[in-house]
Formats: sequence, C-alpha cells, structure tokens
Amino acid sequence: MTRRSIVYLGLVVAVVATLLPFIWMLLGSFKTQGEILRNPSGFWPQAPTAGNYATWFTELHLGQFFLNSVVVAAVTVVGNLLFCSMVGYALAKFEFRGKRFIFTLVMITLMVPGVVTFVPLFVLVAKLGLTNTYTALILPFLTSPLGVFMMRQFIADIPDALLEAARIDGAGELRIFARIVLPLCGPPLATLGILTFLGSWNNFLWPLVAAQTQDMYTLPVALSLYSTGQIATQYGLLLAGSVLVIAPIVLVFVFLQRYFTQGIATVGVR
Amino acid sequence: MRNPTLKAASAALLALAALAACGRDATPEAAPAQNAPGQSAAPATLLVWAMGTDGDNLPKLTSKFEAENPGYKVEVTSIPWQDAAAKFRTAQAGGVTPDIAQVGTTLMGGITDAFQEVPAGTDTSVYFQGPLKSAQVGAQTVGVPWVVDTRVLYYRTDLAKKAGFDGPPKTWDELKAMAKGMQEKAGAKWGIRMSTTPDQELQNSLAFPWSNGGQIVSADGAKWTLNDPAVVDGVKFYQSLFTEKIADPAPDSGAGAAESAFVSGDLGILVAGPGESTALDEAGGDGFKDKYALATFPVQKSGTSFAGGSDLVVFKASKNGPAAWKFVEWLSKPEVQVEWYKISGALPAVQSAWQDPALSGDPRLGVFGEQLKDTNSPPPNATWLQVADVLGQQMEQVVKNGKDPAAALGEAQAAADSIGTGS
Repeated sequence: MTRRSIVYLGLVVAVVATLLPFIWMLLGSFKTQGEILRNPSGFWPQAPTAGNYATWFTELHLGQFFLNSVVVAAVTVVGNLLFCSMVGYALAKFEFRGKRFIFTLVMITLMVPGVVTFVPLFVLVAKLGLTNTYTALILPFLTSPLGVFMMRQFIADIPDALLEAARIDGAGELRIFARIVLPLCGPPLATLGILTFLGSWNNFLWPLVAAQTQDMYTLPVALSLYSTGQIATQYGLLLAGSVLVIAPIVLVFVFLQRYFTQGIATVGVR
Repeated sequence: MRNPTLKAASAALLALAALAACGRDATPEAAPAQNAPGQSAAPATLLVWAMGTDGDNLPKLTSKFEAENPGYKVEVTSIPWQDAAAKFRTAQAGGVTPDIAQVGTTLMGGITDAFQEVPAGTDTSVYFQGPLKSAQVGAQTVGVPWVVDTRVLYYRTDLAKKAGFDGPPKTWDELKAMAKGMQEKAGAKWGIRMSTTPDQELQNSLAFPWSNGGQIVSADGAKWTLNDPAVVDGVKFYQSLFTEKIADPAPDSGAGAAESAFVSGDLGILVAGPGESTALDEAGGDGFKDKYALATFPVQKSGTSFAGGSDLVVFKASKNGPAAWKFVEWLSKPEVQVEWYKISGALPAVQSAWQDPALSGDPRLGVFGEQLKDTNSPPPNATWLQVADVLGQQMEQVVKNGKDPAAALGEAQAAADSIGTGS
C-alpha cells in the first residue's frame, strides 16, 4: 500500500513537471507582452486578454497557414502509410532480383543525415520548377526510409501460410495486400502515421525554403515570421501561436496514443 | 551480403555526387549587368523579399510607387528572420532568387556574390557611412542601407546622480567611474551589462577596438588585422570591465532579464538598440521613463558603435535589373524614408531624412541620429562568418577565462590568415 502510494506520488510529480511548461504556455498566451516580461512574473494572467488570439485570426490570416499545414500533413501521412507499407511488403515477402540491393539502399538513405541532402534536394525541386507549390512541400517526404524499414520488419513476421492460403483461394496480390496485410499492420501504421504527422506538422526549414510566397507558408513558418523579429520577440503572440500549433498534435496523440505505444513496443522487440 | 552492400554503397555515392554536381550547376551565371546610368528602366513586375513584419507593411509604400510609376508592379513576400541565411543561400543555389531583397546587415557576409553592384553614378554619400560598410566588399558596393540600427548607452540617471554624475559619461574613464560608482554608492549589483552570448558578443565588444582607432580588416579588404595594436588595446579595456567586476561575464540572457535588472536598479547601464525604450517602458511601468536617459558611446579616439539594420540588394539573376534599382532608388528618397519610419518605426538610413520633424523632434531618437554618424560594420567578406566564429571563441576566453588579449587576438589572427578574406 505505502509502496504503491510512493509510486503514485512519483508519477504525479513527473506529470506535473511535464505539464507545467505547457500550462504556463497556455496561461502566457492570455497575457500581454509587458506582463510576460514583468519581474517578478506572475503565474496567472492578471488581466487576461484574448488579444493575441484575435491578432492571429484577424490580422495574420492564420486560416490560410493552417490549411496549408493540414493539406501538407494529411497528404504526407496518407502517402507514407500507403507507399511505405507497399514497399515494405514487397521487400518482406517477395523474391526478386536486386531485392537485397534495394533494401541496402533504403538502409543507406536512412543513415544519410537530412542536412546533407537538403540543398541538393532543393536544387532538384527548383530545377523541376516545383518551388512554391504543394507538390514541393509534399513530394520529398511522401515516403520515408524509416517507414519502409519499419513496415518491412513488421510484415516479415506475418506467417507466409496466411498469404499462401489467400493465394490458393484465388486472391490477387493487390487484394492480399489490401485485405490481409494492411489490416494486420494496425500498430505500425498508427506509429508511422503519428511520426509522419509530427514530422510534417513541425517541419520549419523545408517549407521556409520551398515556399516562395506567403500564401504557401505553413504554420511553423508563419509563427516564426510574425513572432520573432531581428531584435525583439512578441512573446504573447508566440505563445498563442504555439498553443494553436500544438493543439492538433495533442488531439492526434490523445486519440491514437494506445496504438502509438503498442506500435513502438512491437517493432522495438523485433 | 558483402558484394551487394558494396555495390549499393557505391551507387548511393554516385547518386549523391550527381546531386552535388547539380548544386554547382545551379549557381546562376553572372547576368549581364544592365545597369548603366541613364538607361531607362522598362516597367516590370518586381519580386521583393522583405524581412519579418516589414514585409507586411511594405505594400503600404509599394502602392505609392506603383501609382507614381505606371506599369510597375511590386510583389512582396515576408521572410522570417529565423534561418533567413539558409533561405537566401538555397534560393541562390536553386536559381530561384527574387529581384530585390531586404537583407539584415549581419546576414550579408558570404552571399554578396549573388548581388549586383550598384549602378554606376549612384551617390552613396547620402547614406550613413557605417551601415554602408556592410554592403561594401573591397572596392565594390553590392547594396545600399535601407533602415539602420545601432546601439547606444541606456543609463539610470538616478543611480548616476548618486555616483556623482549629472550627465552621461563622455570618456572611457568616465564610463568606468560611473559604472563603479553605481555599484559602490547606488547599490547596483553590476555597473554595465555586456551581452556575452556567442551571437551577441561581437556586436557589443567590437565597439571598443573601433573606438580606439582599430580596424579588423585592412582598408582594401585584402587582409584581416585582428591583432593590430589599437584593436588589442581596445579589447584590453573591454576585458577590464569584467576583471574589475563592473560587468557580469555571464549575464542572464533570458527574455526580459536585462530589462528587469535595469528596472530594479540591479544594473546601471545597458547597451541596446532603439527598440529598447519600448521594452523598458513596458517592463518599468508608469514613471520609469524619467529614471533613465540615452547617451552616445563614450569617446576614446572616437565613440564608435556597431551598425545594424538592413540593406537592399538586387540579385544578379534578376532579369529586371534597371527597374529593380529604380525601386531601390525610390525607397532611398528622404521623404519615402520618413514615410517608412512613420509606418514601421525603423530608422532611416538616408542622413537627410533625419531633418524631418518626425525624427528631429524626438530627443531620444536624436541620440541615435548622433550615434549613427559614428558607427562601423564588420566587412561582408565571404569568409567573415568563419572569422567571426574564431574571433568569438577567442573573445569568450578573454571575457570568461581572463586570457591575455594580445595572445588571444594573435591566435585569432593566425586562424584568420589561414581562412583568408575570400577576395
């Protein structure tokens, strides 16, 4: 009993320590710049104001940036789920010439840091005349080596007998993929979906470079543009914007959290 | 497994090499400079990249330009300050640069080869000369200052009085005496605050070698002169602020830390730009305005401060060179500069604009106007950022470890020599 309460006490402390910065951010988003910078700075807003949020929605056209972020993240997630699982399936269950070579190539791409390929990637996109399009924001991230690797590892453990049975029953390869493989891949797909969503949603540098006009900016770029100047930072605006950026992530995580931990655990032990 | 792995690795390397080759190809060829004087500029649609919220305000000006110059159209895109250098460099590599860009003076280093030289016959003497240096590589001028910014002293007049000073410190000795007096007689914890974070360090510390008559690069821009005796002596004085415990070698660099220390009286003197008044008035509340004043840098051989702000540049890859320069010239008109000050609050780079009552009527601004006559910028050489890195590391040792300035700057000079000036 006492041991248990000690464990719970520890957990409560950990939860509070984790949540406190987020709560401070939420409260801070209702303060004015002056109140945030005041010393000593209070925890609760003394004169709560929704001005920061109002600025985002009225003057700064948050809707357009939000829409861009949603489109980019949604297409990227769907693309990753579809293509990574397809490639993973092929690499796990088919025998063909050059299979090992392709898998090794995937592994090598996984190991090359993003900063190395960043400029060449941009030059490629620019040469293709794609800058300032949704395509430029999405295409480079439509599939990921990590996703392919994760899906291959998971699908490799699906018993061949299951696929043989379907084949004997007369199912085509696409049908087997859609009806047998995909439904079995719930946990890794959820994990991949969340990781991809987070990566896309939080990505700053690529959209900054690839978007050439403001109407193509995503949320993180807009957040930086309006809150962080050369010298001064608009903290109220920054905090309110951060709340708005983080809210969808929290929602996604709350709903998919079960799959997320499950997925990490199952892929992790293999 | 062995063979396929090797094959794969070499294939990947080949692919990378091909991509890298792409990158080199993409560097835009120097477009023919069609900017001879007097040549009439054909009307064009100009793409402008402006920094931060300036981009949102700029259309208020461009509509006037469009009205005065039928056929011209100006499209503005705002670029965040964060990672702006990455944005400019990738755009250059990909060949997707705009016609005109506002570039922060500290971002100029390393990308000046992407910019056109100013048209022959451009009168650059109308601008403040310190900020202009940020756009001068050797004998070439590759941009003009648009808005300027510099640092001045903010000091607590009430603490200064207790320390025995009725006015601002005029010399280095007075600066030290005032700061010390504020600590000993007025209860301040620190006399003066110097930002010692890596990105701020040089912007504060270079004022001292400059004020001592030192230059960190030779006049023709061909050689670094970091261990010039005048530079060394300037840095020695800067170091003495820390060794004599007048300045904190590691001040809290968190948001609002400087302001709150200044408001509470823990700190007597701040070194800051024009935006600081607003931050101080907000942090200090009503009545704090009367407790501090602004002053230009104290004079040793000169009272030189660091010049900041933004330059306007025209990209070499632009197909609308003459039209772009026409717009830049329009933005440099004194009355347009004043107009922009009223819209954005950014200080005009054209000297004659300061005679307008909107600026000359404000005593605090007057201090900046005075200081702007004596400012300096690090050169925008292609290698400046590397040299700044080396110099910054040595300055950190000087401030925090008490390293001998002559030895530190000697080492910095040796490293800078091997890096070169890139010209």
